[in-house]
Amino acid sequence: MGARNTTGSAKTGSPDEQVEQLLYARQEKIYPREVHGLFARLRVLGVFGLLGIYYLVPWLVWDGRQAVLLDLPARKFHIFFVTFWPQDFIYLAALLITAGLMLFFVTALVGRIWCGYACPQTVWTEAFLWIERKVEGNRMHQQKLDAMPMNARKLRIKATKHFLWLAFAAWTGFTFVGYFTPIVDLGQRLLAFELGPWETFWVIFYGFATYGNAGWMREQVCKYMCPYARFQGAMFDRDTLIISYLPERGEPRGSRKRSADPAELGLGDCIDCTLCVQVCPTGIDIRNGLQYECIACSACIDACDDVMEKMGYRKGLIKYTTENAMEGKQTHMIRARVVIYAIIMLAIISALAYSVVTRTPLGLDVIRDRNQLYRETVEGLIENVYILKILNMDNREHTYRLGVQGMPGVELHMDIKTIRVPAGEVMEFPVRLRVDESDLEARSSTVIFTLEATDASALQVQQEGRFLGPG
Amino acid sequence: MADKRIPGIQKCIAVLWPSFLTAVVASGLFFSAFDPDDLVAFGADLEISRLGIYTIGFLLFWLVAAVSGFGTLYFAITNCLRNTPDYPES
Ligand code: SF4
Ligand code: SF4
Repeated sequence: MGARNTTGSAKTGSPDEQVEQLLYARQEKIYPREVHGLFARLRVLGVFGLLGIYYLVPWLVWDGRQAVLLDLPARKFHIFFVTFWPQDFIYLAALLITAGLMLFFVTALVGRIWCGYACPQTVWTEAFLWIERKVEGNRMHQQKLDAMPMNARKLRIKATKHFLWLAFAAWTGFTFVGYFTPIVDLGQRLLAFELGPWETFWVIFYGFATYGNAGWMREQVCKYMCPYARFQGAMFDRDTLIISYLPERGEPRGSRKRSADPAELGLGDCIDCTLCVQVCPTGIDIRNGLQYECIACSACIDACDDVMEKMGYRKGLIKYTTENAMEGKQTHMIRARVVIYAIIMLAIISALAYSVVTRTPLGLDVIRDRNQLYRETVEGLIENVYILKILNMDNREHTYRLGVQGMPGVELHMDIKTIRVPAGEVMEFPVRLRVDESDLEARSSTVIFTLEATDASALQVQQEGRFLGPG
Repeated sequence: MADKRIPGIQKCIAVLWPSFLTAVVASGLFFSAFDPDDLVAFGADLEISRLGIYTIGFLLFWLVAAVSGFGTLYFAITNCLRNTPDYPES
């Protein structure tokens, strides 16, 4: 990668000490300045969209039940019209792999777009920053407030801010638990102070995590805790979209009057107003080159474009670009790694979609009775006993027809007439198979149980079992 | 821990955070394979709800991973110190 400078602001001491300071120095609080502009509007849109989805989705209703409910207590995941069971774990795994690949793909193409607009850390931090600004005022007011000794006014302002933060965080925690237990019921029990201990634990845990991460940790999560931030560099190449300052155009930087002609003064376009540094949520100076702390939030683009406009210069001294473009070379959107990511991703998504659509919402487990291998009935037949576990993963009740195949002369006996399983339930049915000893070819033979819904012939499954005899 | 240069809070994060992620994955895998209600050892006797078992399971995974993480941190730091001759004793 091109110019890379990891130290943001001027540091003192030997290089070793610099590194040490960088890694271990107590973090100074960053007061990001509010910024307006195209990308700021996009981010607000992202924040509203994503938080809106997060807070509203648990309240959606589908078919008379919560539309998205990862019902951990009942071990079923309802997502609109599909219900997933622990047996469907493979889908979850495939989904996670797809999400991971998607991140690779998007990162190779457009860099850290995820960080700047969609990462929960960014989104909640934005919301918390907004509350902070409403309560404490702009950057300057915040800095003044923090610098002054504690007094009644400061205490009041700080208390208000933390109260609002905590309230917002608590609601976030409540919503989080609402994805895992029915939220309407949860809300009613919350109002009646009847939440169970575990639910209370998770509301507080998640709420506290939100408060800590978005209120206190902020950019430090990106710098020190985010695994993605650490390895995203590996997914970058010279054609990846990055945010960069154009030094050829900006340098030498220096302040000047609006009326002055920079060419005459021998200056570049950067007026060294440091606005780009002030708006940066991670507190770096983008003019030092690409740095891993940069979360590509584009706040500095908005800030600088504004300055350029006021100065009557061309916009885009800081802009979205690629390393190739900066060196005056062609940028290739379509390239091997992007195509490969896309192909793998599409393959997994189509396989996933196909198997979800064609999956049979019926499960059958055959468990042999462990107490005895076989028994001889009074009629002299060999009998084996099984427990059939039938899992109706469909959204309505079914009755099923049971059959056995694969063994000549076998008889099937059950104590009940009809096998009926309500929607979304697992039920166990004991069955007995009897066969004449002369029909047995070996000590152990294979039988195939077939199960078919009486009202929908597409709903059928088979499962093998062992039949043991004297042999 | 021996090294005073790294603030305690950063050591804690360095251990607790990755072990948290590990615990999320581990409990996800574990509980999709085993239904807490089938784990007679705890559930049936203690009358804890599934949500409770999940929570305890998750916290146990976190604890185990964190213990291992603190061990790694301890050995990494002490070994590092031994190999740094001019490092002042803390
Ligand atoms: S350098 Fe610019 S894009 Fe990067 S984090 Fe700072 S403000 Fe955002
Ligand atoms: S905002 Fe633009 S003009 Fe101002 S210091 Fe940053 S790069 Fe220079």
